[in-house]
Amino acid sequence: MIDAAEERVIDCDWHYQDSFKEVAEYMPEPWNTKYKRSNWDDAGVKQNLSSFFPTSTGDRQNYGKVLREHSNYPDEPEEPERVGEGMEFLDIDVSLQISHLILAMGGVNADDERVQAFTHAYIEYMLEEVLDPDEGIYGLAPIPYGDIDASLEVLERVEDEDAYVGACFVTAGASPPLGNRKYDPIYERCEQMDYPIVYHTGGSGLDEYVRAGYQEMIETHTLGFLESNMSQIVSVACQGVPEKYPDLDIVFMESGVTYIPGLVSRLDEEYLKRPEEAPLLDTRPSEYITDFYFGTQPLEISARNDLLELCFDMIGTDRLLYASDYPHWDFDSPSVINDLPMLDDDDRRAILSGNAEEVFGV
Amino acid sequence: MSGEGLVEVGPESEFEDGDHAVVEVGRAEVGVIKAEGEFYALRNQCPHDGGPVCEGNVQRELVGEFTGTGERVEQYYSDNCIVSCPWHGWSFELETGKHIGDDRIRVPTYDVVVEDGTVYVDGGD
Repeated sequence: MIDAAEERVIDCDWHYQDSFKEVAEYMPEPWNTKYKRSNWDDAGVKQNLSSFFPTSTGDRQNYGKVLREHSNYPDEPEEPERVGEGMEFLDIDVSLQISHLILAMGGVNADDERVQAFTHAYIEYMLEEVLDPDEGIYGLAPIPYGDIDASLEVLERVEDEDAYVGACFVTAGASPPLGNRKYDPIYERCEQMDYPIVYHTGGSGLDEYVRAGYQEMIETHTLGFLESNMSQIVSVACQGVPEKYPDLDIVFMESGVTYIPGLVSRLDEEYLKRPEEAPLLDTRPSEYITDFYFGTQPLEISARNDLLELCFDMIGTDRLLYASDYPHWDFDSPSVINDLPMLDDDDRRAILSGNAEEVFGV
Repeated sequence: MSGEGLVEVGPESEFEDGDHAVVEVGRAEVGVIKAEGEFYALRNQCPHDGGPVCEGNVQRELVGEFTGTGERVEQYYSDNCIVSCPWHGWSFELETGKHIGDDRIRVPTYDVVVEDGTVYVDGGD
C-alpha cells in the first residue's frame, strides 16, 4: 500500500467558506448596497433558518457535534491562510475550491440578478484573496447557468486566469434540467476552452423537490444529494450532451459511488424499451455515463466491500477523483481511498491525483 | 439456418403492408412481415423476455439529429423500418434484426423468397 502522505494528492472538492459579507465587497451595484443593507452580515456561513439564499432542513453540524480544527467553518467566514493549514492537515497537495454559498443558488426563484452578482463577485474575491496556484490552490468558476449571457461572461473572465481550472454547475434546483438545449452555449464554450464541467450536488430546494414534510437532515441529505445529481446525469445523458460536445469532460461531484450502478442499470432498462426518446445516443446511456468522472466523496466505506468493488469496476478507476469536501460535515480523508483493499497502488495514485491531473491539468 | 429448406408461408396476395404470419422453421418460430412492399423474416422471440416480437407494431424508426448549439433536436422518421415487441417495446430493424438502441442485441433474420405468388422462408440447406 502506498503512503498517501508521500504521494501527490489532488482534492477535487474543497469548499471555501466564503461569506456574503466579504464577497459583497466585489459585487456590482445595486447588489453591493442591497446586501450590506440586508442585515444578513456573515450569517450565510451558518445557514440560519432564513437567508439571503434559501436553505434546507436540519443542522449540518449535527447541533454542535461536528467541529473543525483547521477551518473557521461553521462559525465564521474562512481566512484564506487556513486553506493551506487544512491542506497540510489532510496531506493534500492541490485543492480545487468550490464556493460554499453557491450550493444554495438553486433555491433562488426570484427574477433578479443576485446569483449573477454573487458569481461575479466570488470570482474576483477568490482571485484577489484566496486562489494561489503556486501553493496548489485552484478554483472552479461558479456558473449562473440560469442566465446564459452571464455564464458566458464568467467564462470569458476566467479563461486566461491560471487559477481557475473548470466550471461548476450546482445540480440542485436547475430548471429546466441541465441537459436542456438552453445550456448548449455554455457547454460549447467550455469544450472550446477545454474546461471541464463539474456538476456539484446541493441541497437547496430539497425539502420541496418531491414532497414537503421531511423532518431531519438524515432524510433530506441522503435523498436530496442523490436526487440532485441523478436528475442531471439522466438529463445530460439522455439529451445527448456527450454526443453534442464529445470533447467536453464531465464530472459529477459529491454523491459517493454506489448510486451510479443502480441509476445506469435502471436507465439502460428504460432505454432498451424506448431508445427513440434519446435519439442522439448511439448506445446505452450507461456507456456515456461511465465515461463521466465522479468525485468519490462521501465514499460509502461502510458498505459491503464487494459492492464497492463492483461500483469501482463499473465506473472505472480511471474515472474516479478523490474529493475531500473539507471542511463540510461529511468530509473524506485521502485514507478512505488508500485503505480500500481491492485497489492496487496504480489505482490509488490515479484516484488520488493522476485522474485529476488529466481532467484539470493541475 | 436450421436446414429446413424453403418453408411455405402463404400466398403473397394475402399480405398487406404491416401484416405478419408465423411459421415453424425447424424448432424455431419465425415471423414473416410485409413492410412497404418488402418481406422480412425474423425469429419470433424477443431476446428480452421471449415475447412474440414479430406480432408487434411495424413502423419507421424515429431518429434525431443535432443541428446546432441551442437548437432543438430535429426528429424525423427515417427510411428504416422496425418492428416493436408488443410486450415491452424492444424494437429491431427488419432488415438486420438489430436492436435500434444497441446493435449488439440481435434477433436472427431469415431470407424470404417469393416464387410464383407464394411466400417462403428460407430455412437453410
